[in-house]
Amino acid sequence: MITLVVALAVGAALFGIGLYGALSQTNLVMIMMGVEVMLGGAMVNLVAFWRFLHPEVFSGQMFVLVVMTVMALEMAVGFGIGTSRFRSVGSVEMEEARELKG
Amino acid sequence: MTVQTVLQTFFLAFFGLAAIWFAVVVFRTSSMVRSALALLFSQTAIGAMFLAMQAEFLGVLQIMMMATEMAIMAIFMVMYMMDPGGLGEMDMTHQKRLSQVAGVVGAVAALVVAFFAGWGPVAGSAPGAFEQTRLLGLEIMERSMLIFETAGVTILTAMIAATATAIAVREVRKRGEGE
Amino acid sequence: MTVAALAILGPLAVAAAILLLRRGAAALAVTGSSLGLLAAGFTLARVAGGARYEATLPGLPEFPLRLVADPLTATLSTVVAVVGALVMLYAVGYMGEEHDKPRFYAGMSFFVAAMQALVLAGDWVLLLGAWELIGLSSYLLIGFWYEREGVASAATRAFLYTRTADLGLYAGIFVLVTQAGTTEISETLQTGGAAALVAGLLLLVAAASKSAQTPLSGWLQDAMAGPTPVSALLHSATLVAAGAILMIRTSPLLPQGVLLVAGLLGGITILVSGLTAVAESDLKRLLAASTSSQYGFMLLAVGAGSPVAAALHLAAHATIKSSLFLGAGIFQHARGSTGFDDLGGVGRDRRLVFYGFVISGLALAGVPPLSGFFSKDAIIAASFDSPYAALFGPLALAGTLLTGAYVARAVRLLWRGEGRSESVSGARWMGAALAALVALAATLGLALGPLASLLASELPEGLLGAALGLLAGLAGLALGWFVPAGRLLGPAREVVGRGFRIGGGFDGLVARPALALGRAADTFDRGIHAVAIAVGQGTMDVALALRITDERGIDGLIAALVRGTRNLGGRARGLQSGLVHKELVLAVVGGAAILVFAAAAALGA
Repeated sequence: MITLVVALAVGAALFGIGLYGALSQTNLVMIMMGVEVMLGGAMVNLVAFWRFLHPEVFSGQMFVLVVMTVMALEMAVGFGIGTSRFRSVGSVEMEEARELKG
Repeated sequence: MTVQTVLQTFFLAFFGLAAIWFAVVVFRTSSMVRSALALLFSQTAIGAMFLAMQAEFLGVLQIMMMATEMAIMAIFMVMYMMDPGGLGEMDMTHQKRLSQVAGVVGAVAALVVAFFAGWGPVAGSAPGAFEQTRLLGLEIMERSMLIFETAGVTILTAMIAATATAIAVREVRKRGEGE
Repeated sequence: MTVAALAILGPLAVAAAILLLRRGAAALAVTGSSLGLLAAGFTLARVAGGARYEATLPGLPEFPLRLVADPLTATLSTVVAVVGALVMLYAVGYMGEEHDKPRFYAGMSFFVAAMQALVLAGDWVLLLGAWELIGLSSYLLIGFWYEREGVASAATRAFLYTRTADLGLYAGIFVLVTQAGTTEISETLQTGGAAALVAGLLLLVAAASKSAQTPLSGWLQDAMAGPTPVSALLHSATLVAAGAILMIRTSPLLPQGVLLVAGLLGGITILVSGLTAVAESDLKRLLAASTSSQYGFMLLAVGAGSPVAAALHLAAHATIKSSLFLGAGIFQHARGSTGFDDLGGVGRDRRLVFYGFVISGLALAGVPPLSGFFSKDAIIAASFDSPYAALFGPLALAGTLLTGAYVARAVRLLWRGEGRSESVSGARWMGAALAALVALAATLGLALGPLASLLASELPEGLLGAALGLLAGLAGLALGWFVPAGRLLGPAREVVGRGFRIGGGFDGLVARPALALGRAADTFDRGIHAVAIAVGQGTMDVALALRITDERGIDGLIAALVRGTRNLGGRARGLQSGLVHKELVLAVVGGAAILVFAAAAALGA
């Protein structure tokens, strides 16, 4: 029981830190890193739930695989966009990205 | 409380703290390379946590993937960042107060749920590593086949999208302009 | 009846032909009226032999038009035809050097046709129509020389006088027709009682204006502005006769009261117009006044109860007066005007014409054995036989005196003076017609007896009356020859010279008040108009104000709405900063909200 709570606590902390990073960073890459951290926290929670509540059901692990895939994809596409932006504007600072202002 | 449980708890706490501390370092340091490396270590700690929770496949997968990803990220960071070395000591954050509040609120909410939700009986043991892998494979191939297929298509799409986005735009010469 | 109708249709067809062809107008006109004369004469012969003709033509629904040829209408038709034909012949010479002859001859032929229709009419509708048409022809013919000064106004004056009094005819016919239920004249003459009195008086009004009786005689003097053939035909023998004809034909209807009024009216006219004739300085105007006076005699005869005497005097007077006018026309051509100042001595130049003139004049004055003696004698006898002999007798005798006076005066003025020898074109035509009419004037007296028996009435006779009349006539002739007009009239000279204007005359009594009334009505009308416009304007202003407030109100509302929405949009725009971190914050907040809801739902369930 306590193990589970510890794991969940870690997950919670990681989520909070990741959220802080995603919202407060100006650089695209840093934002993506914040998202990575958040996803990591989510993964910790998932594995904890799997291990301590339903170890016999492997859809938990399946979920984790999917999240990992998403992490990788997100980074790939994000870097693609970052590259394109860097080429057109010369920096990936999000403060300057006002083109979609309504 | 069995020894196994105590050990598990200890390692979880240890690697958990490590993950948290390195995550904090990611955002506190102004050097880009250090930031990337800190993230690498954080993810690796998470992978260790997986191993501690007897999800061997996932743990190994996590460590391998994160290592590669972070290395690539480090390269990209050096390419695109204004001050990769972090020697300029600029504050590269905005809406700091808001973000802090958001982070704290999110963490606290999750903690509250973690502490006060009735999780029910905790499972004592998990299948062995070999067994796990086999069962996971079966899971993928039987029940979650659709998910995996979808994931495969999604991966393909993302690869194409990323490649397309990253291709340099060639100057299109208009017809009729002088040779 | 077709033969009798030819008297109408002949001249009518000729009028149309003249208007269409515009050539040979004179020849056509003479042919037309000769044809009419033959037809009328033939009809008279037949009627005298005992035939009576009637014809019904389609007219208004329920009121067909009728033509009737009985002794009275046949006689009158012949008179009209004779005078018409001879005057037309005369006109060939008189109008020899005029332009626009087609208009003249067409008008004359049309007039003859209309007059015949009036005389032969058997129902009121046709009579009324013909009455109006002769008024129209008179207007057109008087105004023949419309470019000359005063002619157009004279024609208008004649038209308006007669037209206004025609209201009497309309009203009278209306009364008769509604009483009798049919428009046939002989039927309506059976009406009695109050309707007869009212109708009789109304008809008298119309007759009085048409026959130029006092006080409606002013137009006849001015009508002399037309060509002399017009004066000879219309204004001596036929058109003015229409009034007397009306009275003669309706005499069976008239009660005693109307007869008294008619007689008095006639008597007053005899005196007034006789005095005017004595004072006139223009030959044609003198003859016009004489015409008024003679028709006064006819009305007096009707009032005295002897319409036969009136009819005979009508026939005699037609020939006499038209021959006098024809003579005057020849004198006019010789000297270029009809004023006595210019005509002095013209009698010496044109002896033959002058002798004819004298013969007709003596006939008018009532000298035997000329026709005028017999007819005037009949009238005087009738007046003495009537219930009102005390009134009518002296009036008739005074009239005879005055007739002699102005005839002699005219003859004297034409004779005294130096002769000038001037040639007159067309003298042969004019002379021939004149001669024929003078002959008729002289000899018609022989026919009066048979005519009276034809009309199935006794000719009044009285030795005393005849003697007194002859005496009066001779005395008048002597007075007129020897005594100048001024001395003759004495104290009445001024009144006569003014045209017997009393109390401001027509101008002061009728015209000015009518105009003032008209002006007052106009002002009133303008006032109402202004009020209506103001009301409309006020309504428009109110509408405009409403519209403005409405527009402002609604516009204001809508504008406020628009502004509000814009503001709202502007504020909502703040969310769309385009900055990634802000968007992320929104995502986080939204996600948290969703989670809270889900948790609440899960916990609640």
